Amino acid sequence: MIKAWLGQRTPVVVSLLVGIALWEIAGRLSSPAFMVPFSVTIERLWTMTAEGGLAAQFLDSIELFAAGFAISLAVGLPLGLLLARVKALRIGIEPYIMVVYATPMVALIPFILSLMGFGFAPKVLVVFLFAVFPIIYNTVEGARSIKPELIEVAQSFRSTEWALWREVMLPYTLPYTMTGVRQAIGRALVGMVAAEFFLSATGLGRIIMTSSQNFDTAGVFASILLIGILGVALMRLGAMIEQHFARWRQ
Amino acid sequence: MNAPSTIHKASVQFSPGEARIRVQNLGKRYGTLEVFRDVTFDVGAREIVAVVGPSGCGKTTLLRCIDGLISVDNGEIWVDHTRVTGPTPGMAMVFQHFGLFPWKTVADNVAYGLRMAGTPKAEIAKRVPDFIKLVGLAGFEKAYPYQMSGGMQQRCGLARALAVEPNVLLMDEPFAAVDAQTREILQFELLRIWQQRPTAMIFVTHSIEEAVLLGHRVVVLKGRPSSIYETIAIDLPGQRTRETLREPRFAELRERVWSTLMSEARAAEFVLENQN
Repeated sequence: MIKAWLGQRTPVVVSLLVGIALWEIAGRLSSPAFMVPFSVTIERLWTMTAEGGLAAQFLDSIELFAAGFAISLAVGLPLGLLLARVKALRIGIEPYIMVVYATPMVALIPFILSLMGFGFAPKVLVVFLFAVFPIIYNTVEGARSIKPELIEVAQSFRSTEWALWREVMLPYTLPYTMTGVRQAIGRALVGMVAAEFFLSATGLGRIIMTSSQNFDTAGVFASILLIGILGVALMRLGAMIEQHFARWRQ
Repeated sequence: MNAPSTIHKASVQFSPGEARIRVQNLGKRYGTLEVFRDVTFDVGAREIVAVVGPSGCGKTTLLRCIDGLISVDNGEIWVDHTRVTGPTPGMAMVFQHFGLFPWKTVADNVAYGLRMAGTPKAEIAKRVPDFIKLVGLAGFEKAYPYQMSGGMQQRCGLARALAVEPNVLLMDEPFAAVDAQTREILQFELLRIWQQRPTAMIFVTHSIEEAVLLGHRVVVLKGRPSSIYETIAIDLPGQRTRETLREPRFAELRERVWSTLMSEARAAEFVLENQN
């Protein structure tokens, strides 16, 4: 079993090792003002952690991410189901969703700043705006693909509207929503860093900025590596949840 | 079956009971397309009425009207003393496409109707295994629909309908999507279950043999718009078994329904449809 696992993982492990090696070589060949090798990045990550600042900033970012993401899911899922169920609403609201979805969210940040200032709430709003649309979009697409026969079965058994949502629409749609969640995780991370850059500087975004201003390239690389690892971990988690809700789809 | 032999044959003859479903002058149109008109028939409390007719004659539409899923344009449907204006308690439908929820296990699918009816949890937990057993799915409680054959899925659909203990069962070509052998097995299973718990049943099919085997009466829908062309009493004595299929009277009745269906212009088309 371990052998099979290794066999499956070998390409990934080899690819990672090669990538790290290339990073190391490129880092050693270039100026430390431009790029640092992998070993220095890890070392810096270690000293930053040891100094104690990193953990607090990391948790700060996570808090922002979690708040924005939770609201995205809490709004996106019911709104998506509602839009799928009420056709007039969908036709009325869809253009707005498409326009806002297509707008680069970063462009909205100055507006949010002037409207809401520098607190925690505007930053959560930025993360929310980055993350919510893939969730809405995939939920609507999923819920619209419910077979009308299943709705008819529910009606035949005298389901209430609420039971129809709970027993039929929600379980059918969740795997689709989770596809949106996976996309939303990546976008929420971008939103998180953007909010930390352009609104009040906190968290990992702040470390990147201050490191960059102090020509601490290793600090920049360490933060980026951390965000990257966080992103991959969250997306793997998202994929696992998606898999869990899609068990019944052969 | 264990009845003393002294009982006179007439006393074990089929009695349909008082009318449970009354369909009166029913008419349905989609825009300018009139599907059927003036459909009138009754179904007794312990009677199976089979409805046959060529594809597109509105058999399924008729059944969905009776279930209250779609509105009618003319006429009335009464079940006992209630006029049907929407899905009505006491009725349950078995669908051609099975209509199982793929994310629910067999047990959860069977429990669905009871949950919608607001049956207490303890009661549901008690009843569900009985109905799973009744349809021969014991051991598959935790299986998902995609893990089962079509025949097993329809057993589950049947259990879901039976579990609400309806006094009216509506069967919409329930065995049309399963293979021929399974279909035959399910037909006799249905007869066995019906013997145990007789209900009023409307059985829509386009298999003439199935209609004659299961029905106490066969209603033939025909024409455009369609209407009841003829109602044929199926006077096969006693309980129907595989033996019934070989009885001369069965063959006669099958021919009778066949020729009734054939006696019109759409005959050629129908021949083609019945070959598959």
